[in-house]
Amino acid sequence: MTVSRMTAPTIDAVAHCTEFAAAQAREAGFSVARVHEIELAVEEIVANICRYSYDDRPGSVELCCRRLDGPKLALEFIDYGRPFDMLNLPPPDLSVDLDRRDVGGIGLPMLRALVDQATYRREDARNILCVIVHAGPRLAGDPAATGR
Amino acid sequence: MECKTQTLANVVLIEVEGRIDHGTAPAFGSALLPHVEGCADESKKLLLDLSKVTYMSSAGLRVLMIAAKGCRKQSGKIVLAALQPTIQEIFKIGRFDMVLETFPTVREALVAISPAAAALYGER
Repeated sequence: MTVSRMTAPTIDAVAHCTEFAAAQAREAGFSVARVHEIELAVEEIVANICRYSYDDRPGSVELCCRRLDGPKLALEFIDYGRPFDMLNLPPPDLSVDLDRRDVGGIGLPMLRALVDQATYRREDARNILCVIVHAGPRLAGDPAATGR
Repeated sequence: MECKTQTLANVVLIEVEGRIDHGTAPAFGSALLPHVEGCADESKKLLLDLSKVTYMSSAGLRVLMIAAKGCRKQSGKIVLAALQPTIQEIFKIGRFDMVLETFPTVREALVAISPAAAALYGER
């Protein structure tokens, strides 16, 4: 099992974590479409950590990537901010009219759609979010998912 | 991320190219949101050509939502054209397809929102 790790300060954690995860997925042989999906998921996760776990204050985000059989990747995001379980946030109401829609809030539905499993735990004053991503694209629009 | 703008009759056509992510969304907002001003009724409409957008995260969708709300407040119109398949799926997840009108091509969008602009587009 291959394990790779990185740590980035919050100021540029989104870009660094996204690039790191994409590189790991490419090395594991994932399709271009699936790499894009993983980039989207990682961007949502890390942006949420920086904004809510750290309340936009300086901190760091660690990302540990384990390559598993399948192939699939286990991506573990660790931060030292306040307790924050993004998987338990209330879902946004996306059914309302444009006037009543929040301008944000769709990151979590996107995350759920893009990863195969996600778990959260609080351990030793750390937030640990683990997501499993399989090689197969999740979105129907991906050419690799529809055989186009 | 790059935006190229042209005016066709009463339509401002903005061609967006590249990635719209956490890092580039502010630039996307700076390029798009000033055009929302004055977008009201038939006098000015906005059309975004997204055919060359390869990646859009929720940061980009947020900018689109702000633009859509701004246009709505002024009884204006903003529509999108030529979304790539993955971005179409992202739109469905966020139910953006319920709040923003999309068209398969720029030409079809122009025909729907401004025959005068469509005629100018067709002359090229």
